[in-house]
Amino acid sequence: MRLEKCWFCSSTVYPGHGIQFVRNDAKIFRFCRSKCHKNFKMKRNPRKVKWTKAYRRLHGKDMTQDATFEFERKRNRPERYDRNLTENTLKAIKTIDKVRFRREETHHKKRMSGKLAKETKEARKELDQQINLIKAPGAMVKDTSSAKVTVKVQHESDENRMEE
Amino acid sequence: MATNSASNLFHAGRSLLRGLGSSSSGMLRSSQESTCNSFLAQQIRTFIQMRTNLKVVDNSGAKRVMCIQALKGKKGARLGDTIVASVKEAQPGGKVKKGQVVYGVVVRAAMQKGRSDGSEVKFDDNAVVLVNKQGEPIGTRVFGPVPHELRKKKHVKILSLAQHIA
Repeated sequence: MRLEKCWFCSSTVYPGHGIQFVRNDAKIFRFCRSKCHKNFKMKRNPRKVKWTKAYRRLHGKDMTQDATFEFERKRNRPERYDRNLTENTLKAIKTIDKVRFRREETHHKKRMSGKLAKETKEARKELDQQINLIKAPGAMVKDTSSAKVTVKVQHESDENRMEE
Repeated sequence: MATNSASNLFHAGRSLLRGLGSSSSGMLRSSQESTCNSFLAQQIRTFIQMRTNLKVVDNSGAKRVMCIQALKGKKGARLGDTIVASVKEAQPGGKVKKGQVVYGVVVRAAMQKGRSDGSEVKFDDNAVVLVNKQGEPIGTRVFGPVPHELRKKKHVKILSLAQHIA
């Protein structure tokens, strides 16, 4: 039993899941679900679709170079069955998984380190530049505006009197 | 003074309008994209039935056959099924002639077929390998990939001749 990787999103395809397409040159495209298959039929490039592993690796979102990935790689040399080896491998899987999880967390933390400062800076800039969207530019100067209203009223009343 | 306040109001109104205009254009763009996607959708593949043209992927001499009867199944033949076909195009000097009625095993089908583990498999085109009534291949070579399900259908000879097994 072999766990294959989805051609589009690089997630694991478990036995009995998904669909595989065999091209005439015998290249096999495996898909984990219909979402990936449909995207393939639409001729989308997985490197340009944001939710795929290929995009995330390419744009430095995920950890790419790590020794823990080497253990999972497909090997073409068949291994002779050895009971002790199998037992040790099964034990090692858990440890390696833990190590990788920790390293991925540190990678994420490092990537997100400047996020708060950047967001604050952008918010401040937006507030400075687009204050007129929430407050009319005239309303910023309080004293003159109140004076303006009184003057206007007086003016109108004067005109009315003149007409009468 | 009064004119000044009015101009301020006008500015605010224009900015609001601009916001509305940009949002409406965005909606238009999205609707156009959706129509484009429906054009890109592929043809839905179906069974191999009467009058389906199939490519012949062996060296029997036939190039194209037309299905005239599926030997099993109500709706038609699928991957691995045997069909009766008539030879539409043939190379000169081959083992089969044009107009001959032959038996063939469907080794590639564009319609997906469920595998024994629950996943599915589909191919690029519809292709057939010509066999005689006993199920032995007429040609001596098979081109392109063939599915391993042929073993279940007792076409081991085709599998052993094939270049690739998918």
